[in-house]
Amino acid sequence: MKARFTKTFPAGPVIEAEFGLTLGCFGLTVLFGPSGCGKTTVLRCLAGLERPDQGLIQAGAEVWFRPDLPPMPAARRGIGYVFQESALFPHLTVAGNIAFGLHGWPRAQRRARVAELIRLMGLEEFAERRPVEVSGGQKQRVALARALAPRPRLVLLDEPFASLDRAAAEQLRHNLRQILQTLGVPAILVTHDPQEALALGDRMLFMAEGRIIRDGAPAEVLSATGDAARAQIGEVLRARVTGRVEGLLRLEVNGVPLFAPDPGGEFTEAYACIRGEGVSLEQGPHGLLSQRNRLAATIRGIEPLGALRRVRLDAGMPLEALITTWACSDLGLEPGQVVHALIKASAIQVIPIET
Amino acid sequence: MDWEAIRLSLRLAFSSSLLLAPLGILLAWPLAYGCFRGRVLLEAVTSIPLVLPPTVLGFYLIVALGPHSPVGAAWESLTGTRLVFSFQGLLLAQVITNMPFFLQPLVASLGGVDRRLLEAASTLGSGRAGVYFRVALPLAWRGLLSGLILSFAHAIGEFGVVLMVGGNLPGKTRTASIAIFDQVQSFDLAGASRTALLLLGFAVTVLACTAWLRARERA
Repeated sequence: MKARFTKTFPAGPVIEAEFGLTLGCFGLTVLFGPSGCGKTTVLRCLAGLERPDQGLIQAGAEVWFRPDLPPMPAARRGIGYVFQESALFPHLTVAGNIAFGLHGWPRAQRRARVAELIRLMGLEEFAERRPVEVSGGQKQRVALARALAPRPRLVLLDEPFASLDRAAAEQLRHNLRQILQTLGVPAILVTHDPQEALALGDRMLFMAEGRIIRDGAPAEVLSATGDAARAQIGEVLRARVTGRVEGLLRLEVNGVPLFAPDPGGEFTEAYACIRGEGVSLEQGPHGLLSQRNRLAATIRGIEPLGALRRVRLDAGMPLEALITTWACSDLGLEPGQVVHALIKASAIQVIPIET
Repeated sequence: MDWEAIRLSLRLAFSSSLLLAPLGILLAWPLAYGCFRGRVLLEAVTSIPLVLPPTVLGFYLIVALGPHSPVGAAWESLTGTRLVFSFQGLLLAQVITNMPFFLQPLVASLGGVDRRLLEAASTLGSGRAGVYFRVALPLAWRGLLSGLILSFAHAIGEFGVVLMVGGNLPGKTRTASIAIFDQVQSFDLAGASRTALLLLGFAVTVLACTAWLRARERA
């Protein structure tokens, strides 16, 4: 599938998108960026709910949008769409909602498909309830089941966890990838949460001010983008789990051991995200470092960041420390110098990589 | 009390609602969701009976349905009867006169349906008709019911158009509201007050019903 289009709103910025996508097999692409950067518009243009101004959207030989032709209606694009707040049909039961897109199917097949999705989503108890009678998390499950039922070629998810409480979001997030993988459907997930992007995405499209500015593996895209997202999540490092000690997880990043809080669950690969505020620097004697999360590091650069200084380090892994200007001058830090970097365990966030 | 006139009023109102509902449901669709140039015009045309004096409307209906008009002539060659001063002619006039009372609450309700639900339906493979009949209309059921009640009630009470198009033929076009006029004209005030009271009670019940429906929709 190929998409390249622009869309302008009277009082808004120009939204520009260009990317390709493989249909026909599972793959989760995260469309990531700060709120209001145009992610939802991109999704709506793909779905046929919004008409771009210029460009071309094509799925195989089918043209979905071309400025000189009437756009292909949403109904015929074979996509599943999950809205931020489920948007379930209040006049239908949970089962009725899931069956909505199976209108033309033979009765027996329709029933079987609905039953299959109800089982897959763990909604057995709720099949005959109305949407108002189920919780937010269950609503989003129903919305997902409803979108998946007609066997779409592509699923579009617009911040599907945004309206849920933490626990419900966590649980659904955990299932989502698995379910999409089981059904073999490619999906685009819109999110502004870097943790969600890392935990779920195979690929990340990074959007800012209306444009897709980066495209690649989530950790690399995040690491390459500096600014807001980085400030929120810190340095993203790929880590191997090597053990569990006293309630802490023992990780290895490029062979360097790190200790971090254990999020629980079974996994062998993870992202360790280290925020600069949790890293302090000390002048120390050269030699052996036996303490936990105390690493010898070479200063690569120092940049002002408001009232703080951002110190870029090489500790066998890229690392960043945010320290005050006084601390910086007290320690007499300069590029090239070797210091000790102390990383608070609590400043390391571990995001398991789902496989 | 003039039971014949009351029976006729009820028969006329039921028949006109029966005809008006499917027609109105089709008209409400472009009025609520259409985005074409003629929409404003369509809205104006369908609202004309609200502002036009009933005699003016009645006059034009006589002209349009009379034996020398295309509609009247076609009817006459088809059935051998006249359209004006008949129950059928009256029925047609009632459908046109009461359409705005059906359309307004329905269109308002349709406009209040969450857009995302309509979008969700279209992403699930529903064409325009599917979106309208499977999602929009069921969700606007309160407006539909209000419209039915209001147009029915108005059909019961319509006077001017009925008098112009139907005249005053007992058992054929003499409805309850015309019977009251007759009774007053012949100084039968007691009879007029009985029929009037019945219609008043009916009107209050109807308005209470629609007010309740509107309150529920907002909740």
